[in-house]
Amino acid sequence: MKYFLATTAALGLIAGAGHAQDRTLTISVYAFGQDAMAEAVFNPFEEVCGCEVVIETGNSVERMAKIEANAANPVIDMAVMSTQDALSLARQDLLQPLDVAQISSHADLYEAAKDPLGNGMAVGYSYYATSIVYRSDLVTVDSWADLLSDDLAGRVALPNITGTQGPLTLMMLSNALGHEGADYAQTIDAIGESGDDIVTFYNRSSELAQLMLQEEVIAAPVGRFAWSRFSGADLPFAWAEPTEGQTGGMNVMVMTKGNGNEELAYQFMDYWLSVEVQTRIAEAKLDSPANTDVVVSDEIAKSLTYGAELINSLTMLDPAAIIDNREAWVERWNENVVN
Amino acid sequence: MFQNNREGLALALPAAVFTALLFLLPVGILLSEAFKVDGSWSLQGYIDFASKPLNQTVFLRTLKLGALVSVVSAIIGYACAFCIVNLDGRHRGRVFGLVVLPLMISPVARTYAWIVILGRTGIVNDTIISLGLSKTPIRILFTETAVFIGLLQLFLPLMIISLVSAMENLPKDVIPAARVLGANWIQVFTKVILPLTKDGLVIGGTLVFTGSLTAYITPAILGGSKVLMLETLLYQRVNVANDFVSAGVIATVLIVMSFGANILLKRIAAARN
Repeated sequence: MKYFLATTAALGLIAGAGHAQDRTLTISVYAFGQDAMAEAVFNPFEEVCGCEVVIETGNSVERMAKIEANAANPVIDMAVMSTQDALSLARQDLLQPLDVAQISSHADLYEAAKDPLGNGMAVGYSYYATSIVYRSDLVTVDSWADLLSDDLAGRVALPNITGTQGPLTLMMLSNALGHEGADYAQTIDAIGESGDDIVTFYNRSSELAQLMLQEEVIAAPVGRFAWSRFSGADLPFAWAEPTEGQTGGMNVMVMTKGNGNEELAYQFMDYWLSVEVQTRIAEAKLDSPANTDVVVSDEIAKSLTYGAELINSLTMLDPAAIIDNREAWVERWNENVVN
Repeated sequence: MFQNNREGLALALPAAVFTALLFLLPVGILLSEAFKVDGSWSLQGYIDFASKPLNQTVFLRTLKLGALVSVVSAIIGYACAFCIVNLDGRHRGRVFGLVVLPLMISPVARTYAWIVILGRTGIVNDTIISLGLSKTPIRILFTETAVFIGLLQLFLPLMIISLVSAMENLPKDVIPAARVLGANWIQVFTKVILPLTKDGLVIGGTLVFTGSLTAYITPAILGGSKVLMLETLLYQRVNVANDFVSAGVIATVLIVMSFGANILLKRIAAARN
């Protein structure tokens, strides 16, 4: 009898262990720095949860399309994305409100990161500043309006309107030029008039880095997450602090509606937002922390968007304004800038 | 060759099924979306596409660059092919190998090299400045010129290969005969070489033109967002706007342009007969 019980218990343990390993969390994340992110977040979490983390990547349109296509039977459990993409999914009723009681670090996040979309649809996990990177030996940049100045004519690149940095640049240029209106019509027209002076409208920060290292371009707006591409170069690059200030954005975590894997997804969110993991991510210069308790060295902080003073000073663009106006911006851009 | 047609059909069946299932069917489904609006058949997608000034500009630019690359490829290709077929066997093999060599290198690598060559600090601008043609570097990247150069280097080997193949079948004595009868070199080319190698020109022209229309990497890298071509516009519609209807319309336009070019070249060649 003892032998039978021991055997049954052992089989039960093996079955239990097997069941734990069968647990799978499917996440949709940015492709940027994926190996480093796996080392800092995904692999350690697998050890913590005894589960498998399945990673889905792609550009934002592909990732959103996958969530939309599988709305009835979600494949993705949780995702990280821009605030405007998250809001777009929330408006389509594809996300579920988060129970922040299950995220122990929630109280430690910056205020703006606690509920950036309203109704608890998302939490912010990283910030980025956007300003102008320029060749300090050739020019000085004091204002966003300098992007269209004669000094930079033929040597400046702008982000494409269809990317994340495009609308931010449009907003800051509009502020600097004294234009009014959320349609940014005057600003788009001004860019169109200077079209010949703009080398290109880049789509990826890696593309811009190559052009600047090749001295084709000497100034361009870019997200701080790409700063390490420039700060380590032999050429003297500087990060502008324009009189109109810096802009920026936040990336958020969301949970798909009815995925049935909420418990594991909350555990993962809690893990990612913890001081330990956010510090590890920051020290690897992968993302700037949204957890206020994260402390990094001055050296690391230089590469990030770090600290309450900087984060609270960023002029952010309302994600709802982006979604509501994007089609009109792209339409006018196509007619007056790239046509 | 076969005892009956069934044997031939049986042998062709696997390839036919493979092509039908994995190529024609998905392409058909994709393209059919371009003829639907809200689930019902419609040409509205084409009307919307044609009515937008940006699309008109991009269409004409794609057509213009495709035609220009084809014409310049043919001019350089004829000169090159003529030289190659007149070399002795050993040298011919070596030179022909050099022509084919670029085809073995990834188009991405070849195109990226042009970013360096055509840049402000590249060899082209260095040469222009050292020759005193300009005091400051000229902007070549992200212009139609850059896309033209990129497409030309990408597809010129295809034209040369087609023309070499056609010229090898040219009877050895027709050119000397024409010369003896008093034809100058322009007459030799237009009255003798061109008519006798027109099949090679049609094949090469079709390959170069359709290749130029559908190449994505080169216009994307050397033209960027400022010099949109139909293929880069198609990518933008799918990956930025998730707009598969417009993408289907553009794909259909590209396919029609490719078939149209082939038919046109064949007609021109036939007309000369």
